[in-house]
Amino acid sequence: MKRLLLAGAILLAGMGVAKAKTIHILMETVPDTRYIQQLLPEFKKETGIDVDIEAISYIDMHSKLVPQLIAPQGSYDVIVVDFYWVGEFTKAGWLMPLDDLVKRDNIDLGRYVPKLLDLVGHVDGVTYMLPFYNYSMAVIYRKDLIADPANQAAFKEKYGMELRVPQTWDEYKKQVDFFTRDTNGDGKKDFFGTVIQGQRGDCISMQWANYLYANGGEYHDKNWNPEMDSPQAVQAMKDYRMHMLNNSPPGSESYCFDEAFNVMAQGKAYSFVTFNILYAGLDDPKSSQVVGKCGITPNPGGGLNGGWGWAIPKSSPDKDAAWKFIKWVESYPIAKKRALLGGAPTQTKIFTDPDVVAKRPYYPTLQKILEGVKDFPVFTYTTEFVEETGRELNLAATGQKEIGQAMKDANEAFRKLAIKDGKLKE
Amino acid sequence: MAMTATGTVSPKAHRRSIAAQDRLFGFLISAPGLAALLLIILFPIFFTIFTSFHDYTLIHPNFETYTGLEKYSEALGEGYFRTSIWTTIRFVIASVVIEFMIGFTVALMLNTVQRFKTIYYFILLMPLLINPVVVGLTWRMLLHSELGIVNYIIGLVGIPGVNWLGDPNIAFWTVVLVDIWHQVSFMAILLLAGLSALPREPYEAARMDGASAWRCLIHITLPLMRPVITVALLLRMIFAIKTFDIVFIMTKGGPGTATDLISYYIYRSAFFGLDVAKASAMSVLLLFAVLVLTVYLYRYMKSMT
Amino acid sequence: MAGGSARSARPRRSATIRRLERLARHVVPHVILIAFSAAIVLPLVWVLRVALTDKLTAYKIPPEWVTPRLDNFVAIFTEYPFGTYFLNSTVVAVSATLIALPLAAGLGYAFARYNTGGMALRLFVLSSQMLPPVVLVLPLFAMFLMAGLINTWAALIFAHLTINIPFLAWILVAFFQGDVAILEQAARIDGATRLQAFVRITLPVAAPGILAAGILAFILSWNEFLFALILSGPQTNTLPVGLASMQSHRGVEIALLSAGTLVAILPVFALLPFMRRYLIKGLSLGALK
Repeated sequence: MKRLLLAGAILLAGMGVAKAKTIHILMETVPDTRYIQQLLPEFKKETGIDVDIEAISYIDMHSKLVPQLIAPQGSYDVIVVDFYWVGEFTKAGWLMPLDDLVKRDNIDLGRYVPKLLDLVGHVDGVTYMLPFYNYSMAVIYRKDLIADPANQAAFKEKYGMELRVPQTWDEYKKQVDFFTRDTNGDGKKDFFGTVIQGQRGDCISMQWANYLYANGGEYHDKNWNPEMDSPQAVQAMKDYRMHMLNNSPPGSESYCFDEAFNVMAQGKAYSFVTFNILYAGLDDPKSSQVVGKCGITPNPGGGLNGGWGWAIPKSSPDKDAAWKFIKWVESYPIAKKRALLGGAPTQTKIFTDPDVVAKRPYYPTLQKILEGVKDFPVFTYTTEFVEETGRELNLAATGQKEIGQAMKDANEAFRKLAIKDGKLKE
Repeated sequence: MAMTATGTVSPKAHRRSIAAQDRLFGFLISAPGLAALLLIILFPIFFTIFTSFHDYTLIHPNFETYTGLEKYSEALGEGYFRTSIWTTIRFVIASVVIEFMIGFTVALMLNTVQRFKTIYYFILLMPLLINPVVVGLTWRMLLHSELGIVNYIIGLVGIPGVNWLGDPNIAFWTVVLVDIWHQVSFMAILLLAGLSALPREPYEAARMDGASAWRCLIHITLPLMRPVITVALLLRMIFAIKTFDIVFIMTKGGPGTATDLISYYIYRSAFFGLDVAKASAMSVLLLFAVLVLTVYLYRYMKSMT
Repeated sequence: MAGGSARSARPRRSATIRRLERLARHVVPHVILIAFSAAIVLPLVWVLRVALTDKLTAYKIPPEWVTPRLDNFVAIFTEYPFGTYFLNSTVVAVSATLIALPLAAGLGYAFARYNTGGMALRLFVLSSQMLPPVVLVLPLFAMFLMAGLINTWAALIFAHLTINIPFLAWILVAFFQGDVAILEQAARIDGATRLQAFVRITLPVAAPGILAAGILAFILSWNEFLFALILSGPQTNTLPVGLASMQSHRGVEIALLSAGTLVAILPVFALLPFMRRYLIKGLSLGALK
């Protein structure tokens, strides 16, 4: 009897020590968050750790994160970092470098798409994050309209070239112009060549970047001298304004990507230069009338790169458990399961994995898109940069400021921020 | 109580001691509320003021560098900051005045009717229970220039679609209108409470003298409602100055700077520009302006006897 | 005005006019109120429509009739912790209101009757609300972090008290002024203490104001966003934060959001009994006398 009691006591003591741990993660609301939540039981089985994922709107994420990062100990073990904040978070020293852990556990960083690793992985040679999610930009278009012989004939007659998936910027502009029409004869345009997401700030900045690259422009040279007032940039703005005035629904000046997405999803536009992740939404019968009718292709000249990365904040209560989670969620089998459910991949092999391609046939194209993307200036003040240049871009696009002047002002705003951050010597 | 030699209380001493007791009672009954407030708010207020004099950023959250009035002059030097002040003034005047006129009318009507009161109240409450973020998102859907139901309906009667959020001039008024839709009930509820607390006698007397409803309104209701009207206007003005979510959700301050209200400007300064000190400086400037406005409005209303 | 025929016609005309005036007096208020109600209800009817369908139908122009489904109302509870959001909002709003009311009543009464602290104190009390919440939230976060209160109801309740107490105090000042003072004096002469006069006379007479203030406090707390975002954690997120999170990176989940919005309006049923109390005209000094 005594031995039984003793055994029972030891057992109870053992249970007390091995209490289940819970880690907390802060993420944005995206379908990926849900997919990961579905897979969490596997993590629990492997490590015994419970994971509590809190999802909030991505536009409020930064405000919520910053106090948590400044605090000596915050509430979150693992966080997700948008590429906008990479410069800011590393300059402030809020993220834990992961190189030692990567080396210790033999994580092969080469499995990631190089452009994503550069954006949300390495910063100045140190690994701070593992790429989690990509939202690089590309051109979404109506492939059924290109395949229509009537359109093909009319296009060839008007421009003397084939109607096909646009390869060059000039070709794309012609297509946009061609497809802007009045289909019901009431004198008003009701079908549009493209949808502009011209809302001041984030939305216009990201979409316009593609116009800049398509015109062969750059944000800055290799010494961080700003080039936003170059002839290419001015031309990009002229193209953008033309599309907004002539080829996009009136009201585009205030559209962000949700409004613009809905125009495309209701079948009222031929194309949409936007985040590749919206493409899946166009195949969702609950939100789209054009299921199966859309294709995706790289933006001529390169699209804008975008993504999020997993990181461990220095204020993380349990860094070991946090690293265990990151390793698990980015391990190939789990990353593949996430992609199969519909998540946005970051590892090269997933794009060509036969199981994944069977479910998502456009992934090889997506990989091609990712190979050609270009980066925003990523530095401490990227968010402010987007904000100020976004204001100037919007002023130019809405005709409230002359284009040349607006680009000069945007360039000047950028220059001041670059100097403030020490990237550009005065 | 102060006593004279004959054992009675002198009138002056009596009055003084009553006054002292009054003061004590006032202090005691306000102490819990004041204590609760000070406990929580004292530190943030001083933090804000203190921060505005140092170089305190989110990257370097410390008070190592004293900057004096630099942040203030920096803020005032920003042209876009000054523009947003002007935009905010226009917004506040427009929304508060219109909300007052509609709110007071509704309150008067609701005070007059006998039947269906409950239903009207029910409806009155509903917009207030929707938080500003959702109000912004819902109206963005309704006002979508191409796919929104509002433009569709006015199109049925032959009016061309309005560019609610994309035209700089219209966008400003759209934001005002959405704010009115959301907040006019605030005024109505407060003013209605004031109306129900009014005494009946003056009206009965006036009715016997044959006064019309309009004269009753001007000469009895308005003067008696002065305290409630003052506080309703004041509070609504302070809230209106802080309007943030509608702009953040619907326009991000655009098109251009047409709807760039001061609260959003300060938010951007803190969280995008990472410059908490400058945001604090702007807030302190705002605080002074509102304090002055409050005192002026209060004295003005008091003088209208 | 010539001739007897005109004189005999006048009484008949003024009776008609009087009847028309009476009709107008009864009908016009309802016309105005119905127009006002329509302006509020019609957009919400559309929200209901969206809540009963999906995103595709929400933006289909011309609008199509689709069989309504209750999927979204279920989905907000399964795909989002909506029940938790609702519970947190309720606890925080009710607590912040019930605690703020007596505290603010005391403060407001001292201002109204005894001018405690003068204009300076009144302004100081209100001054915290003249600052945009964004500058207050960082020091508040630091304070609650040190007190170990982040991710608790207490943090939000305290934070909301700072919003409610100043506003309620100012509102109640207006309702504690006026003829109430005379009634209080009468009670004092009859032997009541200051406190007794306050509780037995002032509060009942100011009931319409107290009820209105309570409702407004509840609403301010129910809708508050920024403090809830920064000061709460996974277990204490409130409805505004939860509803805002339906802006996903793939677009706004408008159908779910609409369903959530309507569910979040439900407290209006709970507040209604309080409104009805002073709907009955007669809660005035005349009745009390």
